[in-house]
Amino acid sequence: MFRYVLKTLWRHRTRTLLTVTGAAVAMFVFCFVGSVQQGLDRLTTGEDADRSLIVFQENRFCPASSRLPVDYANRIMEIEGVAEVVPIQVWTNNCRASLDIVVFNGADPNQIQTNRPITLVDGTWSDFEARRDAALVGRNVAQRRGIKIGDQFSIGEISVKVVGIFQSDVPSEENLIYTSLEFLQFTRGLDATGLVTKHEVLLAGDADPDRVASEIDEALRAGPVATTTRRKGAFQASTLSDLVDLIGFAHWLGYACVGLVLALVATTTVMSVQDRIKEYAVLQTIGVRPLRAMRLVLTESTLLCLLGGLIGTGLALLALGLGGFAIGAEGVTIAFRPSVGLLVSGAIVSLIVGIVSGIAPAIQAATVPIVRELNQP
Amino acid sequence: MALVALNAVTKTFTKGEETITPLDHVDLDIQAGDFVSLMGPSGTGKSTLLNLVSGIDQPDAGTIAVDGVEVTSLSRSQLADWRAANLGYIFQTHNLIPVLTTYENVELPTLLLRLSASERRQRVELALEAVGLTDRASHYPRQLSGGQEQRVGIARAIVAHPKVVVADEPTGSLDKKTSDQIQILLQRLNRELDITLLMVTHDTEVAGIATRRLVLEDGKIVDGLANPV
Repeated sequence: MFRYVLKTLWRHRTRTLLTVTGAAVAMFVFCFVGSVQQGLDRLTTGEDADRSLIVFQENRFCPASSRLPVDYANRIMEIEGVAEVVPIQVWTNNCRASLDIVVFNGADPNQIQTNRPITLVDGTWSDFEARRDAALVGRNVAQRRGIKIGDQFSIGEISVKVVGIFQSDVPSEENLIYTSLEFLQFTRGLDATGLVTKHEVLLAGDADPDRVASEIDEALRAGPVATTTRRKGAFQASTLSDLVDLIGFAHWLGYACVGLVLALVATTTVMSVQDRIKEYAVLQTIGVRPLRAMRLVLTESTLLCLLGGLIGTGLALLALGLGGFAIGAEGVTIAFRPSVGLLVSGAIVSLIVGIVSGIAPAIQAATVPIVRELNQP
Repeated sequence: MALVALNAVTKTFTKGEETITPLDHVDLDIQAGDFVSLMGPSGTGKSTLLNLVSGIDQPDAGTIAVDGVEVTSLSRSQLADWRAANLGYIFQTHNLIPVLTTYENVELPTLLLRLSASERRQRVELALEAVGLTDRASHYPRQLSGGQEQRVGIARAIVAHPKVVVADEPTGSLDKKTSDQIQILLQRLNRELDITLLMVTHDTEVAGIATRRLVLEDGKIVDGLANPV
């Protein structure tokens, strides 16, 4: 009987193609929106977000306006529960929301190697340490900008030699370019000698992040610049608060896409059943059970939806994998990465929508008034 | 015991304010191996009687039993199962599934039974052979003539080896020559394969091929052999 369903879909191939295309486009958007949502979730949760703190200048958000003394690191290290402090100079080409934000993080090369959750996929650490203007480029940035090892990459006042490409389990890391701290501090226009944008604090063992954050701000209150210390996840969420609202709205767009697929496949299936209602009467006359007739219709709608959904999801994952897309603001970026979770959710949503969209026409096919339909010309 | 037994079957329809009773306390016994034709003027309820025996319609009163199974007491799903195993239906307008080939159309009822693939293939080949369409197995309905389509419909009706085959005006949409071929085929099925047939027709010539001729008049069945139309 499965062959009957396939042949029916093939008989109306234009309609099938249009429906599958519509479902694919909608599921493409759904997965893209889902990847933004996942990127935001990863940015605000997980080990990196919960077990490290960001010390920023009080009441400042843009990296260009936060200036903290480098030697704050020594005072922070004295606080109980602090395992490591990484002074970081940040430079970004755009403080406002942008889809092509480039963020440089300047830090001590040894600290980058030992503390950052990154793995070189191309290049060597020794090359990074050997050149003053050496840069390690995150995989996302490299993909997006077409950067390769050995390239001289220039943006604004900064020009670096690319000596490594890295990947990371923390997707937002892959949107960064690491240089040495001194190189970025001496960049023309920054005039940041002895200053950094922020200190990233790695917590020891089971240290309470909130207690350590309070103690850092308290300890530095008497210093030349007051600080605000928060968990990295909270800091990033706060920095991206405008985008978070936008992403929350986009979430509804994702649901709207699911609704669109539902309406599209349901309409196609209803039309298909109504066109062939006499066929269902004939099938039941020769012994097809009403439930089996229902299953035939549900198989048809599910096949349409699954096919479109999987194509859309697959294309979205491919685009996400190849495009290296990211959105960011004020030096914090959200990476859009493909994931198994997206694939699974795309497939499950397609399956459920396929079944749900077929229910009404399936009932129609199962309860067809046999005699009345057989008497139709 | 009769293979098909109708006992005081009544069916009424309401058309506007008018109530029509095409079948009024109808009693009928059909023995295994019978070839029964049912005649009568248009609108007298011949097809209704066929639909009731097939279980695709329900009587307002009375019972219908086929091979001891009271079909009037079965649910819609049970009736579907029962039809798949026990009843073949030949439609006037063939009603083949257009997306399926001749072979697949004939195979359809066997997919509803618990048969092995080889058993299914064997039955389909035999049915196609019986109607002389082995060489048209891979053709689609649109590639067949009206007579060939009806023969596919007949093959589909007999492929599951049903206890009874009902035929609703099986030659009604065919030309004279094709109609004659179908009549011969139906006779052969009855004589050679011992298939019990209940056929509705308004054509006296077609009715003449049956071993037993009945007429439906004023909601009652009259034995046609004793009272020819």
